[in-house]
Amino acid sequence: MDQDIIVRNNVKVFGNGDKAMMFAPGFGCDQTVWKTVAEAFKDDYRVVLFDYVGSGNSDLQAYDFIRYNTLEGYAQDVLDVCAALDLEQAVFVGHSVSSMIGMIASLRQPQYFSTLVMVGPSPCYLNDPPEYLGGFEREQLQGLLELMEKNYIGWATMFAATVLNNSSRPALKEELEERFCSTDPLIARQFAEATFFSDNRKDLPRVTVPTLILQCSDDIIAPVSAGEYLHQHLSKSVFKQMEATGHCPHMSHPEETIQLIRQYLNETAVGVLA
Amino acid sequence: MDSLLDHAPCGFITLSANGDILEINQTLLSILGCRQDDLSGRPVSTLLTVPSQVFYQFYFVPLLKREKRVEEMHLSLQSPSGEEIPVIINAVQSEKDGKATTDCIFFPIRKRSEYENELLTAKKEAESALIALHKAHTELDMAMGNLKDQQRELVKLNRQNQRFKQETEKELELARKIQEISLTDPIDHPTIQIESFYKASRQLSGDIYGFYQIDDHRYGVILLDVMGHGISSALITMSLHSLFQRLIPGGARPEKVLNELDSHLHSLFQKEEEARHYCTAIYLLIDTKRKKIEYINAGHPAALLQSPTTGEQHELASTNIPIGMFEGAAYIPKTISYIEGDRLLLYTDGVTDFLGCNHLSPLLQENHSIPIGRLKQIIIQSLEDNQQPSQKTDDQCFILVDLR
Repeated sequence: MDQDIIVRNNVKVFGNGDKAMMFAPGFGCDQTVWKTVAEAFKDDYRVVLFDYVGSGNSDLQAYDFIRYNTLEGYAQDVLDVCAALDLEQAVFVGHSVSSMIGMIASLRQPQYFSTLVMVGPSPCYLNDPPEYLGGFEREQLQGLLELMEKNYIGWATMFAATVLNNSSRPALKEELEERFCSTDPLIARQFAEATFFSDNRKDLPRVTVPTLILQCSDDIIAPVSAGEYLHQHLSKSVFKQMEATGHCPHMSHPEETIQLIRQYLNETAVGVLA
Repeated sequence: MDSLLDHAPCGFITLSANGDILEINQTLLSILGCRQDDLSGRPVSTLLTVPSQVFYQFYFVPLLKREKRVEEMHLSLQSPSGEEIPVIINAVQSEKDGKATTDCIFFPIRKRSEYENELLTAKKEAESALIALHKAHTELDMAMGNLKDQQRELVKLNRQNQRFKQETEKELELARKIQEISLTDPIDHPTIQIESFYKASRQLSGDIYGFYQIDDHRYGVILLDVMGHGISSALITMSLHSLFQRLIPGGARPEKVLNELDSHLHSLFQKEEEARHYCTAIYLLIDTKRKKIEYINAGHPAALLQSPTTGEQHELASTNIPIGMFEGAAYIPKTISYIEGDRLLLYTDGVTDFLGCNHLSPLLQENHSIPIGRLKQIIIQSLEDNQQPSQKTDDQCFILVDLR
């Protein structure tokens, strides 16, 4: 096991299965967002959690502004973790942009993955009329980057204040030590640019790994049009429309998320046996 | 909602667990320009601009879920009329009747936001300036590094050059000595006295001379000036020297001497046309018994024959073109007689470059009675006096012959 990668990407492994199940956090988040969902699979799977370099409790020293300028750099993080743990045929669950990161990783080293589960995925956030509706105009995404900038100072002080004001809840402090979101504004901005201005549509026909697409309702970030486009262009994909609203069903509606993933894994497992 | 909250100096909203609007106060309604009925039950994100909706999803929802509170989040509201209103939001989630609800206050920050925008612009400018500075600094460092490398290289080359120069100078000095050794010593016989002066423009000279006693009454005097000066000319003089120092003492005829020298030059440059040098030469065969001089002047400055009694001067002017120019040139000597006390001056153009042709002749005339050893010093002095420091000197050489 490559201990350097384990430390660099803050890799956590637990659970009892033979088969590995890897959870990748979405933009701006770290592995703690998977807490509830990952727990549900620990009896049947060897659960793997990690943080991308630059977020969570990863090694910030390892951040490379050239490598992480595109999603390829993040996909390399996934492959590094797979190699470090010697994974084979793992279930990869990616939220938001991690769906695309996992997909890119699967194109480079398909043997690591048996299944891709995409939660709130979008192959391209920008509109490309008339055939593609990603949901955003360029200036709207620029506006998001500006908002991130304006909230940066707020973030830093907000966390500090939260810790100080809740000394009566020591558990919270411990939880906070696992940073929820990347606080380095430069890294966050670069991740945002790599995420929101990427266009992975041309890669879709090359994907060989079976894929489950979990489409949220009323998700402004990954609209139904984006999920359907993926479903049409990924040959081995299953599309599930969720009851869950918003962009983070694994946090807001963990039960439904767990149930749909489990159902898909059981069905495909049966399919394989049959 | 109680009246105090309804009209509080900030916007207030209560959201359901799903983020739908349950209650909204009058202040926020008037900020937005809406009515309560329009908004009740709708998702709070509909109040936001598109970027704020995304930010809300990415940051507000997860943070609220985890921390049960959000503080000082900067978002922008969008009123139905399309106006964008920057706000700061604080939110706290609590349980009411077993259901999670979230209370939020909205604090418009139009002016503060403008101020922040300006700050951000200034910050970005400062950052770009800093990046530019870093870049310039890096480039400067690199340039300095390069310069240092080049300087080191230059110092190294300079040292090599210095060593090379010293070695070359040593070699040239040695060559000059060899060239000077080849020059013949003054002659002081009862019937003839010969003195000479020889000065190279650099270490090596393109001038060469020789005077030899052929038998008891015959003497051969030769003076050559190879075109140019420096190493190549000097090498040619040495090559010619080795030839004439065999021919002249052997008593070869003047035409034979010149012919041989001419053929030698042609054979030297037969295959190397670019290296071709030609050469002016004057050869005098002096017979002291018959008091006759046979001479050939191949393109050389005229030698002067000074009579002591009449003060007359006779020029031994050019009889031929310089040697090494056209192959097969015919050399026919001229003969003149002299009387006792006549005096000859042979010189190269390096001498007349300074003094001019008209200077030498009076000098010779005025000093016809003093010994040629003194006369030589007078000419040298005259040369030194007339030399301009800035003037590029040619090789200088002259020969004085006293016929007794």
